[in-house]
Amino acid sequence: MALLEVKNLSIGYHSQKGYLHAVEDVSFSLKAGKSLGFVGESGCGKTTLCMALMRLLPPNGVIREGRILFEGKDLLKKSDEEMRKIRWKKIAMIFQAAMNALNPVHRIEDQIAEAILAHNPVYSKEEAMKKVEDLFMLVGIPKDRMRDYPHQYSGGMKQRAVIAMAMACRPTLMIADEPTTALDVIVQDQILKEIKGLQDRFKISIIFISHDISVVSDVCDDIGVMYAGELVEYGDRSEVFSSPAHPYTKALLSSYPTVTGEKYKLEPIPGEPPNLINQLSCCRFCDRCPSAGVLCKTESPVWLEITPTHRALCSSIR
Amino acid sequence: MEKSNKKSLNRSPLIARFREGWAIYRQNLLGKIGLTLLVIFALMAICSFIPPLIDPMYQPMTGVDPDIAKSTSPSLKHWLGTDFMGRDILSQLLAGARVAFMVGVSAAFMSIVIGTTIGMLAGYMGKFVDTLLMRLADMIMVMPTLLVVLILAALFGQLNIWTIVLIIALFRWPGVSRVIRAQTLSLKQRPFIEAAKVAGASHMRIIFRHIMPNVLPLAFLYMTFRVTSAIIIEAALAFLGFGDPSTVSWGMMLQWVWKTGHMFKAPYWLLPPGICISLITLSFYMLGRAMDEVLDPRLRKEAETG
Amino acid sequence: MELWKYIARRLIQIAIIFFVILTVLFLLFRLAPGDPVSRMVDPDMTPEDAELLISQLGLDKPIGMQYIYYLKNFFTGNFGESFHYGQPVIEIIWERLPNTILLFTTAIILSALVGVFLGKIASWRKGETTDTFLTIGALVTHTVFLPWLGLILIWIFAYKLDWFPITGMISEDVYLDPDAGILTKFLDVLHHMVLPLATLFLIHFGSYLLIMRSSMLETLKEDYILTARAKGLEEKVIRNHHAAPNAALPVVTSVGLSLAFSINGGALTETIFTWPGIGRELVMAVSQNDYPLAQTSFLLIAIVVLLSNLVVDTLYAYLDPRIRY
Repeated sequence: MALLEVKNLSIGYHSQKGYLHAVEDVSFSLKAGKSLGFVGESGCGKTTLCMALMRLLPPNGVIREGRILFEGKDLLKKSDEEMRKIRWKKIAMIFQAAMNALNPVHRIEDQIAEAILAHNPVYSKEEAMKKVEDLFMLVGIPKDRMRDYPHQYSGGMKQRAVIAMAMACRPTLMIADEPTTALDVIVQDQILKEIKGLQDRFKISIIFISHDISVVSDVCDDIGVMYAGELVEYGDRSEVFSSPAHPYTKALLSSYPTVTGEKYKLEPIPGEPPNLINQLSCCRFCDRCPSAGVLCKTESPVWLEITPTHRALCSSIR
Repeated sequence: MEKSNKKSLNRSPLIARFREGWAIYRQNLLGKIGLTLLVIFALMAICSFIPPLIDPMYQPMTGVDPDIAKSTSPSLKHWLGTDFMGRDILSQLLAGARVAFMVGVSAAFMSIVIGTTIGMLAGYMGKFVDTLLMRLADMIMVMPTLLVVLILAALFGQLNIWTIVLIIALFRWPGVSRVIRAQTLSLKQRPFIEAAKVAGASHMRIIFRHIMPNVLPLAFLYMTFRVTSAIIIEAALAFLGFGDPSTVSWGMMLQWVWKTGHMFKAPYWLLPPGICISLITLSFYMLGRAMDEVLDPRLRKEAETG
Repeated sequence: MELWKYIARRLIQIAIIFFVILTVLFLLFRLAPGDPVSRMVDPDMTPEDAELLISQLGLDKPIGMQYIYYLKNFFTGNFGESFHYGQPVIEIIWERLPNTILLFTTAIILSALVGVFLGKIASWRKGETTDTFLTIGALVTHTVFLPWLGLILIWIFAYKLDWFPITGMISEDVYLDPDAGILTKFLDVLHHMVLPLATLFLIHFGSYLLIMRSSMLETLKEDYILTARAKGLEEKVIRNHHAAPNAALPVVTSVGLSLAFSINGGALTETIFTWPGIGRELVMAVSQNDYPLAQTSFLLIAIVVLLSNLVVDTLYAYLDPRIRY
């Protein structure tokens, strides 16, 4: 049985201009100990998806339909109190380091200890601090920086601290939202190794979000490509990477430069993502798609199974 | 032909912006209440000219009803009663409205002019001029305006209302200048300033022609806050007995109630001036908050998603 | 420690500002229309005493020398003699200063604490009746004219209901009674302090409430609040432990910025309630042309404002680790 199974999830936001379809009919599953990466440009809905998994949507966000089955139970049916217990203990989140994810007026060690004590009230303060020490060692931050405040940390250190905090309760599932964005390339590499190392060691399932497909393909077993709120391609990492089916995936891969291999021209994708307020009855990518056919503009696309572990949402693939 | 086109081109964005601002403003309840109250006060101020025209007896300062020589409660003849000398309170109240607007708007306007100029200079010139001006602003901001005017009153004798206005303006500009300076600093980086420099515009020209128009909306917003503080300071001064003895302001009226011991005996005299000062302060404040929403889009969003 | 360095720096700044004020005052007093001598020397003095005083103050010397004398006198605590009281100014100031500090400090601290507390609640119950009630209450009390509010309070609570005394800081009989203990005197002072404190409190707490309210609403949108929620913390903890400390910082800044305004209010309150503080002394000294007293009172108030600013800034630096480290 999969650790996490999402079925037909649709999420939207109420805004002054109307109802925004942020995520439409997304389904995927994640087995224990495996990792899944979501790729897509800004606004494609990947962050919304993850917020929904933890039921942390803002007040104007609404999960219109679908089911989120975690360890067999539907999270959407749980009460606030039950969700609170699940958060961090079972499902934890790694935020982007550039975000203001750490409270500026509290010491780092206190913020991590807080997470531990909230879910394990039996621990004393000293025991919690000892655990914080272990976590720091785990992510490679020197012990003498424990009592510092967030603004005293560099970007890379903050990211490690955030990772340490996410590991505080040894969660079963970790959601990493753009954890390497805004970091320089060398630190990016270190952080990615860090995350991979943690996954191997503790057998944690990871959902990895990035707009950078290269990062995702490095760390994840499966890849999901999102566009304008829809999952357009999904499957095993190597299959998606070596033989992308959906035109958008192909475009993403070809807009990314490689150091090795043949030199080819970088192809940016023309046009802009569609307005998410209108519910479209055609393929959302058709305006920008180089292989758009007549069907694409008049009917919603259907899922095409390329292999048992690789599918794409497209009407123009044969 | 070309000139008129240019003019209309320049005008329409301004008018369009005004219209847009008005639409947003109208939605704000507080702003509407504030504006309504202010209109009422403005009417009062205008009406202040009427009573003396009808009958010299209603001259706020000197018009004494020959039949009355003490404070009386409201009657048909004197809608709000009379003060201890037999003067009509209502006409005093109306005259007070006029004075409040006069003092408030002039002092605010002057402090805006000073503050904006200094703010632009500090932001644009930078370095030494900036530091000097901002240190000066800091020092002035620390000073309690009321008490400074008191000391000056001690030295220079009874102060004329315009002197009071000037002093208030001289002590209230620092707040404005800070904001304008910040705005100027961010504008300074913009490409259109670079373009003007390259085109050979002198510094003065850049400041007044290019920066000022962009900075003015903010300046006017802060003017509403300055008006309230000016009115309050003048009222407090008059209340303490240091106002201009030849002008009837609401603060002056309160001083008379207090000093002549009618405080407890004449609520019709005690209440109206105090209510007026408080209400006009409130209405300018509401006006300022509503304008804040118009000018700062971020505040609008709070109303949207909340 | 960083904090001490910060305080030291600010003290130097304050010293400079005060020096400038001192000098400006000196110039004003000398250059204002009228005879400067009459401002320093009590008109009721005998000619011999007047001569002595003039030479003491150096009024017969050139203005440069006068300035030196002025500074010397100031720093040796010689502020001259009050025309009105006939006592050395320093004695009068010494008596009055604690009263002002008592009233002023209590009022500011109380209104800040209550304002922050209520602002937090108002933000939490945004849109509900409690919020509307608190916001309108804050708005109305904040814009009421202070002297008028004081008079109304006296009228209702002291005159009509006779709950509190109308004037003064302490009842005469308690003050003069040799048997009255410290506690009795303290309670009596407290009894007298209620109305002036209430006046100052009502005028100030509103603005702190409104600032805290909007600050909380802004803070609750911050990323670290999302983190706190994701950590599975209770809403109460998130509000009080994570949001409030950050949201309270702008309020501290606001207290500092409005200190000049608060001192104005303090002087007005003292005058209305006949509270024997420095503010009231200044007002009376000015109306009685008691120049030495007026000048020194003003200078002392300036010091109080500057030092209060320092206290507030230090408090802010203490509360916000980004400043300290």
